[in-house]
Amino acid sequence: MSNRFVEQGLRAPVNLTWEVTLACNLRCRHCLSSSAEPAPDELSTREALDLVEQLHQQKVFQVNFGGGEPFMRHDFMEILGACHERGIMTCISTNGTLIDAELVEQLSRNRLVAIQVSLDGAKKTTCEEIRGKGTYDAAMSALKLLARSPIPTSINTVLTTQNADEIPALSTLAEELGVTLRISRFRPSGRGADNWEELRPNATQLLAFSDWLGRNENIRTGDSFFSLTSQERQGLGLNLCGACKLTCCVDPRGKMYPCAFLQSEFFTAGDLRQQSFKQIWQDAEIFASFRSLRIHSCEDCKRFDQCHGGCPAVAYHLKNDISEGDPECLEKCVTSIADNGVVAA
Amino acid sequence: MASAGCTEMAAAGYMLHPACRVRQEGFGLLFYDSRGPRLLFAETGNLLDATFIENLHQENELPVHLTGQQKSSVDKFIRQLLERGFLREQ
Repeated sequence: MSNRFVEQGLRAPVNLTWEVTLACNLRCRHCLSSSAEPAPDELSTREALDLVEQLHQQKVFQVNFGGGEPFMRHDFMEILGACHERGIMTCISTNGTLIDAELVEQLSRNRLVAIQVSLDGAKKTTCEEIRGKGTYDAAMSALKLLARSPIPTSINTVLTTQNADEIPALSTLAEELGVTLRISRFRPSGRGADNWEELRPNATQLLAFSDWLGRNENIRTGDSFFSLTSQERQGLGLNLCGACKLTCCVDPRGKMYPCAFLQSEFFTAGDLRQQSFKQIWQDAEIFASFRSLRIHSCEDCKRFDQCHGGCPAVAYHLKNDISEGDPECLEKCVTSIADNGVVAA
Repeated sequence: MASAGCTEMAAAGYMLHPACRVRQEGFGLLFYDSRGPRLLFAETGNLLDATFIENLHQENELPVHLTGQQKSSVDKFIRQLLERGFLREQ
């Protein structure tokens, strides 16, 4: 990954996280956005379609739909179709509860969509402790339907202390289903902040996970695990925070943020009801500050070139300062384990 | 002749891979491959327009304004894109 090019500021993000609704039929304990009921002023269909056209004009390559549960939006298929008509690639993060054979057939008609189904444990009890009753079977049912379709499908698991030991089993499960496994990082935002201490993986688990990731290069991480993962994995390009450089987030009301984990007033870059996508991407002060962000406290670290200080969102939520180093970085895990007298495997 | 090679390649039916996209940036061309995902920052400056790559399957000629040396560079660049999977046969 070339910092030189992205720090100059790209004309548009490479991809965009678009949380199309806050509506969700689940109440997952780690939910980054505290999804439950729809926000009262979510973008209308017309406004959403206008945004799709703007993304097309700006040549945004991919839109990653999340929420909330995207399929809870009555017009979601229309928004998705508008993306595909314009050649925009899409990925949908879903809990799988609303996916049936008819929907899979409908989604299969277009080759520009990929789907991630959330599953937070290889064991039903583990998954349901985090996501609620019935979620394991619903997700498995969706995964089986999707695995039989041409849609690129992955299991998306948020690494928590509860499921850390089940990651290898999840990998096996994914292989048996014929889908891929993507592990996401747990961050203290939304309901995840309320349950942070209870769900966060400990240093030993993070280190073990890092080691396992290093030996399983087919596992996708997709976000800022670059602060945790082994050097070999850095070759895949996951070596800097892409917020405001390669990606950004749009919330259900059309407000733009650096990333999905920093959706607060302080980090608001702009409002699509008042400005164009292009204007906000190019002119927002908060985006400019992220593009020039340097984590000076990490610069002397031997791993700095690999992670550039890690995830500013985690630093913000835990230290109230985006310019602090990632509190969960690999080096800090090692130090933490050493300080506690635990021998790392 | 290098430039002729490129013209032949285009005529032979190469195209941007369906999983890939390209767009113009200040430094040149930015390629995106959703299969990784991975990015390619190509410092091509004003040498090539993104639409040339997008329409490669229809192109039989390199842009007329290119010098012989530039055509040679484009030829090499297209071969690299092919090797890296950003382009493929139609």
